[in-house]
Amino acid sequence: MPEVTMENTMVVPSAPPEETRAERLRNFWSDYCQSWVAVLALAVIAVLLFVSFGASLVSPQDPYDMAALDWLDAFLRPGTEGSGGYVHILGTDNAGRDMLSAIFYGLRTSLMIGLSAGALALLVGISVGLTAAYFGGRVEGLLMRIVDLQLSMPAILLALVLVAMLGQGISQIILALVVAQYAYFARTTHGAAKVERGKDYIEAARSTPLPTRRVLFRHLLPNVLPPLIVVATVQVASAIALEATLSFLGVGLPLTEPSLGSLISNGFKYIHSDRYWLSIYPGLALMVTVVAINLVGDQVRTVLDPRNSR
Amino acid sequence: MKRLTLKSAVAALALMAAAPTAMAADLVVGLRAGPDSIDPHWSTVGSQVEALRHVFDTLIDVDEKLQLKPGLAASWTAIDDTTWEFKMREGVTFHDGTPFTAEDAKFSIERIPEVTGPMPMTLYTKYVDSVEVVDDYTLHVKTKGMAPSLPNDFTRLFVVPSETGMEARNEEFNSGEKAIGTGPYTFVSWQPKGDLVLKRNDDYWGGATAWENVIRREIPEDASRVAALRSGEVDLINYVPASDYLAMKNDGGIDTFLSDSVYILNIAPSVKDEEPQPITINGEPVDGNPLQDLRVRKALDLAINRQVLVDVVLEGLGTPANQLMPEGFFGYSDELGEREYDIEKAKALLAEAGYPNGFEIDFTCTNNRVPGDSVVCEALAQMWSRLGLTVNAQALNGTVFFPAAAREEYTMTMSAWGTLTGEAAYTYGALTHTKDAEKGFGNFNRSGYSNPEFDRVFGEGAQTLDPEARKKLYEQASFIAMEDRALIPTVILQTVWAADAGKLDMTARVDQETRTYAITPTQ
Amino acid sequence: MLSFFITRIAQAIVVVFAMSVIVFVGVYAIGNPIDVMIDPGATQEIRQKLIEQYGLDQPLIQQYWTFLSNVAHGDLGTSMVYNISVVDLVFSRFPATLELVLVSVCIATCVGIPAGLWAGYRPNSIGAKLIMALSVLGFSVPTFWIGMLLIMGFAVELGLLPSGGRGDVGSLLGLPTSLATLDGWSHVILPAINLSLFKMGLMIRLTRAGMVEAMGTDYVKFARAQGLPDRQIVFQHILRNISIPIVTVFGLELGSTLAFAVVTESVFNWPGVGKLIIDSILQLDRPVMVSYLIMVVILFVLINLVVDLVYARLDPRVRLKGGA
Repeated sequence: MPEVTMENTMVVPSAPPEETRAERLRNFWSDYCQSWVAVLALAVIAVLLFVSFGASLVSPQDPYDMAALDWLDAFLRPGTEGSGGYVHILGTDNAGRDMLSAIFYGLRTSLMIGLSAGALALLVGISVGLTAAYFGGRVEGLLMRIVDLQLSMPAILLALVLVAMLGQGISQIILALVVAQYAYFARTTHGAAKVERGKDYIEAARSTPLPTRRVLFRHLLPNVLPPLIVVATVQVASAIALEATLSFLGVGLPLTEPSLGSLISNGFKYIHSDRYWLSIYPGLALMVTVVAINLVGDQVRTVLDPRNSR
Repeated sequence: MKRLTLKSAVAALALMAAAPTAMAADLVVGLRAGPDSIDPHWSTVGSQVEALRHVFDTLIDVDEKLQLKPGLAASWTAIDDTTWEFKMREGVTFHDGTPFTAEDAKFSIERIPEVTGPMPMTLYTKYVDSVEVVDDYTLHVKTKGMAPSLPNDFTRLFVVPSETGMEARNEEFNSGEKAIGTGPYTFVSWQPKGDLVLKRNDDYWGGATAWENVIRREIPEDASRVAALRSGEVDLINYVPASDYLAMKNDGGIDTFLSDSVYILNIAPSVKDEEPQPITINGEPVDGNPLQDLRVRKALDLAINRQVLVDVVLEGLGTPANQLMPEGFFGYSDELGEREYDIEKAKALLAEAGYPNGFEIDFTCTNNRVPGDSVVCEALAQMWSRLGLTVNAQALNGTVFFPAAAREEYTMTMSAWGTLTGEAAYTYGALTHTKDAEKGFGNFNRSGYSNPEFDRVFGEGAQTLDPEARKKLYEQASFIAMEDRALIPTVILQTVWAADAGKLDMTARVDQETRTYAITPTQ
Repeated sequence: MLSFFITRIAQAIVVVFAMSVIVFVGVYAIGNPIDVMIDPGATQEIRQKLIEQYGLDQPLIQQYWTFLSNVAHGDLGTSMVYNISVVDLVFSRFPATLELVLVSVCIATCVGIPAGLWAGYRPNSIGAKLIMALSVLGFSVPTFWIGMLLIMGFAVELGLLPSGGRGDVGSLLGLPTSLATLDGWSHVILPAINLSLFKMGLMIRLTRAGMVEAMGTDYVKFARAQGLPDRQIVFQHILRNISIPIVTVFGLELGSTLAFAVVTESVFNWPGVGKLIIDSILQLDRPVMVSYLIMVVILFVLINLVVDLVYARLDPRVRLKGGA
């Protein structure tokens, strides 16, 4: 790895290290803990991650194993014991599926879509933003003009059209969300990188014969990460909400591979027939997830805001 | 000055549009879908035809069971192999006072190919070769070859005055200028996806109807439509979702009306030499297409518990189906018995065919095209998993499903088919006849099914003018296709209307139309 | 100023052109609309004739060229479902959307700004915390979910308000609008609240952030030390200073509200433009999809332009430059 050898031979002026990484992390954590709501939100997210990605461990039933379902169990009210010999805490749906299990699995789909869309959008956004900031000039002008225009276009509309073009399915939804959301990351990266770029250490790095890629990723990127983390949390939350909305509008995931959104959408059909549990519980799960992620993002923003520094 | 009058006219119109719902002689209906245009020759969409029946009349009408009855044509007979004679009703006038004659009917038939859109009405005139006015009240229609089903085709043939002009534009109909028919209501106003406002035609030839003002409001969301009824915003709604039916039936404040529909959910297994999506065992594609084996198709059929589909999955809003049309339709076979559910027999058949441990198969359905399609899809997957199959069920929107289905990209599909004409030629000719572009058969045969015996019997029926003999042949053809499991019918969907208790009486129709003029107030 | 305009308009034309290509190709990729629309009874012959009639058998480039030359003649296409020109169709639906958006923006502003000011003025009070919590809810919880809860609560359970649709249309200053009648207001209020929540959350946070920052500035401290009443400081000085970001967001959000109306209009069956586009997508009404999207792009380009101008007017430090 040529990069490793270069580490020692090339001395690059770096941003002045005021505190070590561990100290910074510790300070960050203690700042973060100043809001108990945010800590609670974090705990909620941990629980949600556990029950969703460990869905096969914690749920009483595998809701997608068709052979495990029994239609005689359809529409059991919450708290009823079904033919499986256990109590359906949140009731069952029209296929005799345990709602609690369905929510865990649906949450998994939703989180997976939200996280992968967020991560991919982050990657694309960083690339676009850094490229623009680093090269400047026409490249920057063009890229940022596109990004600005996309930012002014509402994500929901963009995603709606994209899903219509791409068809239904998880990968199609993720792709649509990435295209709809990368612009936020690009703009943030670009903004932060612009500020950093003006600083001496980058200028110094650019004047050395280091490869462009290295300057971008080893020096520029770490310094633009904090604001990106904030954007990322917000975007993951909104990706989850967006997917739910698309599914509700009937262009998202089919009922045969449900996310929280398609569960709610299915449940709404029954809202007048006193089967509230089919839509209320997945709705609550969706709400708790999105709000918790947003609360965490909020607190991270507050902590990272230089104006709040002690 | 002119602009001012226009505005006040608009305001006045708008106020009329919002006539209070409290008056006894007025009716506000919440419908899942409305018309797409007021031009009656634009499209064949069911909701369009249903709405325009209020303003325009057809030459031939159909009753609640889709049996023919006179409309603007008082009677019709085939005078030779390629000529139908229609006798027009006398003394009928259009809303503008001009009398209706055979000339108007001829004009309407000839106008269709000029103006019809992507859902073409030419469907109903495809057998017409030429039209001849014999006298004011007699019309002769020459057909291309023998056309026994011509009267059925004419049940959606709306008549407009010949003064309308071939070049009359859609906008002129929508504005009301050309929206002149002979129907039970006169046109007041309409907005796409909005309200269709109608006023009673007191001089209607069939007798004036009960409601003076009718608003047909389009509310596509099921939940919103139900909410609109419950909150008193509308008096009557169609397409009550299955999930709300029981609650409404048990609600003293609401009356419900139930009918079988023409729609049946059918499974179409591809029987081509190579199935479009591979069928696999342990991830390895199977040699040949297992669905070509009649025993496999029978096993799939036997594993379906139709009673559960009806009682549980559709919550009672269905009837088990044993063929592609409901009972009583022209060509319905009485020979076919009820489909049995026998999982053990199904397993034995599957083993006999060489698949004792089942296989993995893709199964694609429509989503939200008709009520219940996606839930039935899921339930079928569940039932076949009892048989030992691994079924990858997917319910897709029409925009995805139909183009791909037309390209024949699916191994096994389920979608709804409605026998809108009430007779077998329409359904079996399109679905189970061998593809034959020249004869116009097999247009929707996407499974590759082809049985010379069926084609022969069906083809003979299509060339027989005598109704009784034709009926026999169609019954025989239905029997062959169904015994062959060319398609596997599952359930007949039922439709429910709901109204404020004690407000009105109506006869639920098998074609799902909500004909406001056939509804009477409760005394 | 002039060069700024010219550059911007040139950019806008390029953007609109590029978008038209993307949209056209994308919509083309979805599939043949005839297969979605056609009646089951149609013969191959009828189908083939239709495909030719609508030019769907021609190569993509040819179809796009036909589309462009029609646009050049001012013809944005005719709906395949309604047989009405797309422009007429969109404009017949536009008033409904506009009145919904206006009411919801008013609600968002009238509630959001005072709430945000209070939350920033007393950031540690219980009220402020409550306001902030609600603002998080406002922009995190999906619109469709709140919409259905509103219908369940106010229309079905309590029976106070209608569950959907647009009310009676009256005449206000010569314009036909449902805001001129009581019935119209009863219909518009639930969807407008539903649509306003997201914006309200945003408004609260923006105002609060500006307020907190302004309260910490020297000149506010100085003004307070001088004994000026808080009321005067807030309304005369701070509000003016924080109005710049608020106006910017207001403008940008007006556009996004028009688009978000898609969801609200679906839930409340509001006969606006958003509903139209959803229906067109589900029915694959190609001309409407393409032309509507291009009209939206033009709208957003215009909004961006106007916001830039307003921004420049409010803040003289921003110089109007030609480039990006």
